[in-house]
Amino acid sequence: MKGIRGATAVVGIGQTPYFKRGTSPGPALKLCLQAIVSACEDAGLDPRDVDGFVSYASETSDVQKLMPGLGTREVRFAALTWIHGGGIPGALSIAASAIITGQAEIVAVYRSMAESFGQRLRVDVAQNDTAAQYLVNGIESPTQILALRAQRLMQYHGVPRSALRAVSQASYYHARNNPRAVGRHVVLDDETYDASRMIADPHRLFDCSRENDGACAVLVVSAERARHLRTTPAYILSAPMGTPGGGGALEENWRPYYATAGQAGLARRMWAESGYGPRDVDVAQIYMNNNSVGIGAMIDHGFCTFENAGEFLTFENLIAPSGKLPINTSGGDLAEGFIHGMGLVAEAVRQIRGESTNQVPSTKLSLMTGGPGDTMSSTGLFGSEETL
Amino acid sequence: MEYSFEKHRIVGGIGADAEYWRGLEEQQFRLPQCTQCGKWIWPAHYRCGDCGSWEFTWTALEPKGTVFSWTRSFYVFDRVRERADDVPYVTVLAEIPAADGARVLGVLQGDETGLVIGAGVQGSIAPPCEKSKWYASIRWEIER
Repeated sequence: MKGIRGATAVVGIGQTPYFKRGTSPGPALKLCLQAIVSACEDAGLDPRDVDGFVSYASETSDVQKLMPGLGTREVRFAALTWIHGGGIPGALSIAASAIITGQAEIVAVYRSMAESFGQRLRVDVAQNDTAAQYLVNGIESPTQILALRAQRLMQYHGVPRSALRAVSQASYYHARNNPRAVGRHVVLDDETYDASRMIADPHRLFDCSRENDGACAVLVVSAERARHLRTTPAYILSAPMGTPGGGGALEENWRPYYATAGQAGLARRMWAESGYGPRDVDVAQIYMNNNSVGIGAMIDHGFCTFENAGEFLTFENLIAPSGKLPINTSGGDLAEGFIHGMGLVAEAVRQIRGESTNQVPSTKLSLMTGGPGDTMSSTGLFGSEETL
Repeated sequence: MEYSFEKHRIVGGIGADAEYWRGLEEQQFRLPQCTQCGKWIWPAHYRCGDCGSWEFTWTALEPKGTVFSWTRSFYVFDRVRERADDVPYVTVLAEIPAADGARVLGVLQGDETGLVIGAGVQGSIAPPCEKSKWYASIRWEIER
């Protein structure tokens, strides 16, 4: 049977600006149309020819609302990946599957949000599915739930505060070169980080993602078609989704408990399918609702361990162009902006194209990890032509 | 008996834990075990994934455990706004050895000295109130 590896590629990127939450000039649906149309312009494709639509989590710009505005000739495929930000690379995987099986030819993968016409991000993404066990006991936000895991990561497994700080500083450092980045004016020196207010112990303000209005879309087509378009294809080498056994919607009762991101199994499957490993990765966009679980994702992917995380996760190692593992080169979820993590896909693709504002020279393998610690997650590896 | 939580029902998660909340309103800390194979199932579910049984026995336990993890919330989050006056407050995830290490959330009360992973905690049951969304709740206290 034909696998995912190299059979499809991302060929178009479209993004609206990141608006301060609650200030977008239009609702999510309009932003979503703008992102999809601009992804088509980027790829040189007609928006009317997009025949597949895939999103994830609590996306509300569904295809039946989009198609009149896109002039869609025919919708041939549409799907939503469960259940939160964990689903992003998984959405690419669904898009790739639809193309490989001949169900669609041009699939838009997208996410749009606008608090100006909706509700706060953390309420929106929770989809009224937060268990009473949390709410009765004063816990409602992902940052609080992830703080429980971060406490284990730091106090029990010994990952030092310096690692969290380095991850945030690398993200903000990259944001300074990125005109799209909401956090580009922040100079995150040690003093600023250390003095930032606590949100949910151990998470300080700069350990948390941004919260923005905006939309981001990418277009996936077959590898064959990609070679005839005007953009450099970013081939999807692998994008597995899933949850380990003993996991699930278990309200902090996983066995074994993962103080990381619960992505170790996903990473193993991805390395096996792609034929590459952590040492081959040139650059990584690590989903960070909080940096602590992003560190967990890097541990799960084999970039470091609990024991050497403090040594490996330093500012110098994490920055482009020459760090051992440049991460979040657009500024990422912490410093560029946060449309539920979708901006990371665009940046991972830009790195393959050589178009990042913090380009890692001759990037061949570009990683994007999905929402860490999610009850279902996914991870994805993009490759250039020569990695196939 | 009329139960307060049933009039203020929170929908979310697996949602098979009504008997837990009923227990707390009856001043008992009860957790479920599979009737057939004896496995502790927490959070409560509808079917035992190990043996396939649909029957559960809710056993009253002494609320006693150790701190598995904790967080101190410094922000008034939208859906737990009732606790605004208590900010910052600590929520403890306690591991219950008598229920094969089931982990149960509760707000910390009393002196915070000694709040570290592994510290012993003793629970007490607070009646329904606005802060706990009119559910009865377990409150953990560091053992001295």
